[in-house]
Amino acid sequence: MTIAAEQEMPRSKRRSSLIRSPQFSSLVILIVLLAVFAIADANFLSPLNISNMMAFLPELGIIALGMTLLLTAGEFDLSVGAVFGLAPVVVMLLVQNGGFDIGIALLAGLLLCIAIGAVNGLIVTKIGISSFLVTLSMLLVVRGAALYITQGFPLKSWDQPGFFVTLLAGSFNIGTFRFYTSLWWFIGLSLLAIYVLHYAKLGNWISAIGSNRNAAVARGVPADAVKIWLFILTSVLAGLAGMISAFRISAASPVAGTGYELEVIAMVVVGGTALTGGRGTILGTIVGALMLRSIRNGIVLIGVPGLAYNIFVGVIILAMLILHALLQKNAARS
Amino acid sequence: MEVLRLHNLQKSFGSVRALKSASFTLNEGEVVALLGDNGAGKSTLIKAISGVFPVDRGDIYVRGQKVSIRSTRDAMDLGIETIHQDTSLAPDLSIARNLFLGREPVNLKWLGVFAPLDLAKLRDAAAALLKRVGISKKLDADALVSTLSGGERQSIAISRAMQFAAKVIILDEPTNNLGVEETHGVLRFVKEVRAAGHSVLLITHNIHHVFQVADRIIVMRRGEIVAEQTVADTDLLTVESIITGADMSALLKETRAK
Repeated sequence: MTIAAEQEMPRSKRRSSLIRSPQFSSLVILIVLLAVFAIADANFLSPLNISNMMAFLPELGIIALGMTLLLTAGEFDLSVGAVFGLAPVVVMLLVQNGGFDIGIALLAGLLLCIAIGAVNGLIVTKIGISSFLVTLSMLLVVRGAALYITQGFPLKSWDQPGFFVTLLAGSFNIGTFRFYTSLWWFIGLSLLAIYVLHYAKLGNWISAIGSNRNAAVARGVPADAVKIWLFILTSVLAGLAGMISAFRISAASPVAGTGYELEVIAMVVVGGTALTGGRGTILGTIVGALMLRSIRNGIVLIGVPGLAYNIFVGVIILAMLILHALLQKNAARS
Repeated sequence: MEVLRLHNLQKSFGSVRALKSASFTLNEGEVVALLGDNGAGKSTLIKAISGVFPVDRGDIYVRGQKVSIRSTRDAMDLGIETIHQDTSLAPDLSIARNLFLGREPVNLKWLGVFAPLDLAKLRDAAAALLKRVGISKKLDADALVSTLSGGERQSIAISRAMQFAAKVIILDEPTNNLGVEETHGVLRFVKEVRAAGHSVLLITHNIHHVFQVADRIIVMRRGEIVAEQTVADTDLLTVESIITGADMSALLKETRAK
């Protein structure tokens, strides 16, 4: 259906719209970045290193998918990093201190994430406070809760092999590469997000709400409900990512995920989604997630001193954003 | 034939009586201009008709049937489409996606909001619509609305209202911020809308435009309708003085006598 429609377009037009798309400039930057790291350190593209990157990628990437949809609808969520930390901590406390079955505990964790997202969404839409302030406060509440209920100590995570561990953090080998099941989650959820945002009726609503909320509401689009569900989705994905991480490293720390909210937003924006809403791209977010992951990995490999690490990450993100903006400006002019 | 009739609509916000009493009738294929200074109650009146908020008292009749309008969706379902200059379209969406926003053609309807858009139908219907209203030559249904001029955006918004066979199209300041050429384009479009059998309620500050397209003029002041005249029976200066209230008593008498 879409393919047929795309074929109707003249080839030249198709090419120029491809080059103009924000995902394209992100992709170019990613390729350059990978090339630079690969040349600087031969180990960068080794199976072990790629496997390592792919183990970390889904954890932030999954949150970034939700954040992309939320940003497209014109809202932020700064509480994702804290939810990433709280969800596994609550689940493990229920199992270890409460004696609950792991399945029940996971269900409780899921309900908790839904509740956090719903509170965020309800306050933002019904009381009309900016999502920046609401979710910043929620970050403090959620992180504080994680620290308080654990008294600041990390918990040993569920490490008995079983259905849930395999489901969230199982691993498998392809040749010399070792991948985690979380990669499947990321791929599956990415496809789903691409479908929803670009091909489903809901995606049309999400973009319209972020682009011009009043116009969407005037057409009968339930803007508040859509936003509330997107806050819930983002929160649930953050919790899922937290569980995946906790199972993978067999530990649930109350400070896990600190600062993730900004890194996730950086991934989304570097990928080409507009911070102001209306324009979102899942493909761009995937490219952005790959980009941030390879920067974090690459600068360690090329020997940047540990404490200077964040300086480099910050500078590179800034440089990418500038480059991105310039490429976009250029493309728009031509 | 009567399309829309308002009877004694009233609306207060706290102690402010934004709409003291408004009654008028809109007929089929008629362009009625609603005039008045800032704060006269024009926007309160059209918001009440388009379902933004309920009225405190009074009745609305559509084709003689008493109706209750509680939401913008209700108004749309009754065939009342309101077009505001800045709030009608989503600039980051294509023309086609804007035309069907909220009423998207989908496949697999049972999937609800997750149903896939019928992109081929969307595109074809949009192209056909643009062609029907005579703006297809310039505009591609896939173009983003952000790339259009103000006049083109107005035309798209009005086309969308026509598309859904709206009985009543309410235009809120359609020529604000438009250039001379574009303003003429939009006014021409309003005439075409009337020719196609739709009724138009035109809200504007610009009296000159009113005389170019409207059949009838309704003037509001301080929450009340103070004059109602056919364009043929009045002139620019008279209307202007009613709006500003310069010579109210004489004109009110004249209106009441009618």
